[in-house]
Amino acid sequence: MAGRRDPIDVRVEIDDEVWTEEVGRLRERSPVRAQAEKARREIETHPTTVPWQPCEKDGPQGTQLADCVKLYVPIGQEGASAAPYGFVFALRKVEGVLVLRMLAFGERHPTNPRTHPVYSRAHRRLHGRYP
Amino acid sequence: MATAVKSLHVGELVDVDGRRYEVVPDAEGDLTLEPTITPMAELDRRRGAKPASQEDFDRLFGHLPTDGEG
Repeated sequence: MAGRRDPIDVRVEIDDEVWTEEVGRLRERSPVRAQAEKARREIETHPTTVPWQPCEKDGPQGTQLADCVKLYVPIGQEGASAAPYGFVFALRKVEGVLVLRMLAFGERHPTNPRTHPVYSRAHRRLHGRYP
Repeated sequence: MATAVKSLHVGELVDVDGRRYEVVPDAEGDLTLEPTITPMAELDRRRGAKPASQEDFDRLFGHLPTDGEG
């Protein structure tokens, strides 16, 4: 379980389009979709205290996620088996206010070779193609 | 009757029953089709969002460790 931290002064935005593309693609009433929806409620209720972690500027799979942070899901869990999913958000400035905008949701370590990890999905949305 | 086979390459877009897909590589180097996604640059443009400065990022998150995963 992640330790308690000081609140981070930031807002969160989840575009409907991104949500549909990242979570709407998942089967309705599937466990993973339910996890994403539950996590979204937590993020929007407690954006300053959920356990954000910086992403790697240059990740191990060729991802480039500078200025991005992630959240493991279920929120509050950390190990890949306890928290198999993740969100990635990018820090942006909107009307002078710092905002975390959702980039991607997905598996951290997918076993299906056709499934891209959440980090690769975030890279694709940022850079236009998979790493 | 000969069947025409269309060659597709990474990054090309195709329309399947009215839905747009992109040809993308999978983790094993094969190609597969995935629904297109909206680039962040386009989403940011519509929202009037701009990248935050490195100083802003470091001020909010610079004290937090990365875990090397991605």
